[in-house]
Amino acid sequence: MNSPPIPVLSVMKVHDLFEQSVCRYPDNTAVIHLERKISYRDLYFRYAEMADYLKGLDIDEGDRVGLLYENSIEYVYLYFAIYKAGYIVVPVDTSVKPEMINYILRDCDARALIFQSKFRRHLPKIIDDDTGLKYLVTDKNPKLDNIRPEVITFDSIPKISAGTQMDELLSDNAIPDPAQSPHDLAAIYYTSGSTGQPKGVMLSHRNLVSNTLATVEYLKLTEKDSIIVILPFYYIYGNSLLLTHIAVGGCQVVDNRFMYPEVILDTMEKEKVTGFSGVPSNFMILLNKTSFASREFKDLRYFTQAGGAMAPEVVRKLMNAFPQKEIYIMYGQTEAAPRVSYCPPERLNDKIGSIGIPVPGVDIRIMNDDGIEVPDGEPGEITVTGDNVMLGYWNQPEEQSQVLRDGRLFTGDLGRKDEDGYTFVIGRKKEIIKTGGNRVSAKEVEERILENENVSEAAVFGVEDDILGEAVKAVIVLKEGTGLTKKEIRNFCKQKLADHKIPKFIDFMDALPKYQSGKVNKLQLAKM
Amino acid sequence: MPTVKQEDIYKEIKDFIVETFLFGSDEESFGDTDSFMEKGIIDSTGILELTSFVEEKYGVTIKDEEMIPDNLDSLSNIVNFIARKKG
Repeated sequence: MNSPPIPVLSVMKVHDLFEQSVCRYPDNTAVIHLERKISYRDLYFRYAEMADYLKGLDIDEGDRVGLLYENSIEYVYLYFAIYKAGYIVVPVDTSVKPEMINYILRDCDARALIFQSKFRRHLPKIIDDDTGLKYLVTDKNPKLDNIRPEVITFDSIPKISAGTQMDELLSDNAIPDPAQSPHDLAAIYYTSGSTGQPKGVMLSHRNLVSNTLATVEYLKLTEKDSIIVILPFYYIYGNSLLLTHIAVGGCQVVDNRFMYPEVILDTMEKEKVTGFSGVPSNFMILLNKTSFASREFKDLRYFTQAGGAMAPEVVRKLMNAFPQKEIYIMYGQTEAAPRVSYCPPERLNDKIGSIGIPVPGVDIRIMNDDGIEVPDGEPGEITVTGDNVMLGYWNQPEEQSQVLRDGRLFTGDLGRKDEDGYTFVIGRKKEIIKTGGNRVSAKEVEERILENENVSEAAVFGVEDDILGEAVKAVIVLKEGTGLTKKEIRNFCKQKLADHKIPKFIDFMDALPKYQSGKVNKLQLAKM
Repeated sequence: MPTVKQEDIYKEIKDFIVETFLFGSDEESFGDTDSFMEKGIIDSTGILELTSFVEEKYGVTIKDEEMIPDNLDSLSNIVNFIARKKG
């Protein structure tokens, strides 16, 4: 087969990771989803059809295209096709309220939305006169009246004629690559911040490709690897699973049924996966509530854990259950594309509680408030430099300037380094609660609760939780003469917040403990 | 046709789900055979709350390997599962 030259890192864009593996491993299975399987070759045809069609839409290179789709074979080729067509991918969290999806589409001024028809019922709230969408691309026609965007269904997209050889499409440059450079914006991932609305993290092709290849390197991934994917692809950690395994010609075994974790364990055994990646709540559920620890998983080589701190006793439980498997405890954030550090499995025992050492190509420094690096052992803010550091926040220059200074990312996490260069997280500068793998802004939840006319004050913070890692707790002071129940508070929150942000625990007090400055003493509240 | 007792169980479990996961809202109703997973009513931590409720309320023990969609992923599935457990 006449394959095009394999691009090198300096010129690679995200979809090159896919095309490269198509050339090298066309017959490898790329994705398994329940009873469906697809090879790299067949996935390429779907990708090429979609990319070619999307290129012909009346929108410009660099325009934003939303992707509202569950993990599936379709997500994979749609995701890469958007890049190939020259647009900016905006993966959308399928669990957020439609009003939030509307906000995201307006904020990034998306011109098209590719969505799965199962979300059809939310469309009237997603699309309004302020969304600039020109196109809705979907698997089935939603049959809605009076919507402005043109609706395009998958079955109307021209198929590549039977008998077309893959290398005809590749080597003839039948679908020209977009003009963008690797340093240009590739994707926007929306994430919660310390202020009310989510922020669009702008990631370049270089951010994503360099971090993918760095992760492949330390996880020692090859085309023989297959990962069970329970994390959503719209989440940057889930996206990392997608990119790393596509980059090596490996396999994604998609299973969205973690609600029934035994089913996931059966899938892992049936498909002989070599890797499992989860957030703390996944591991806690598996270790405490399933037959996970009693299964052998003969083909499983490694676990990875990120998405928040996992308690050392849970790490030890995992190590004891699977002494022969490699366990990678990792740290990162969306703003770092996402991987910042990992603990080499062979050091986990003596470095437990650490987030490890920087991934290849990344540098970590602990800085004080004056921007000076502190000595080993001293606390400061964890800062990161590398090809993985984001371009910035979409249309939020003030927020951006608080975290990005001279190409250095200030993570908002407090930490210290030991004499071996291993970093330990000791707290958070900003009030972000990481619950069940989700980021929740304490400030955002407080602001929403305070919108209730019966509430005088509200303090929101994270408390330890066996399953979630951290759970959201609200302590509320009501106005005199008023009464609200916990259920009423939750109902109120439900109208304004995604489900995972609704406080799991609620207490009422006559007054909140405060520092002399007047700031609420949340440390004291958390101990009560 | 469900027995009288099964009708009680349907109502009790539905009320628990509406109170706990839908916060008493009538907006998002669901049918007896609707998949909790497909409809996004309950997530992976919520299912643990639901099974704890079922165990305490109906005096059954749900084994790890029984936490599967066939047994738990709709109101009908749960009620039938409880009926089988109680013989």
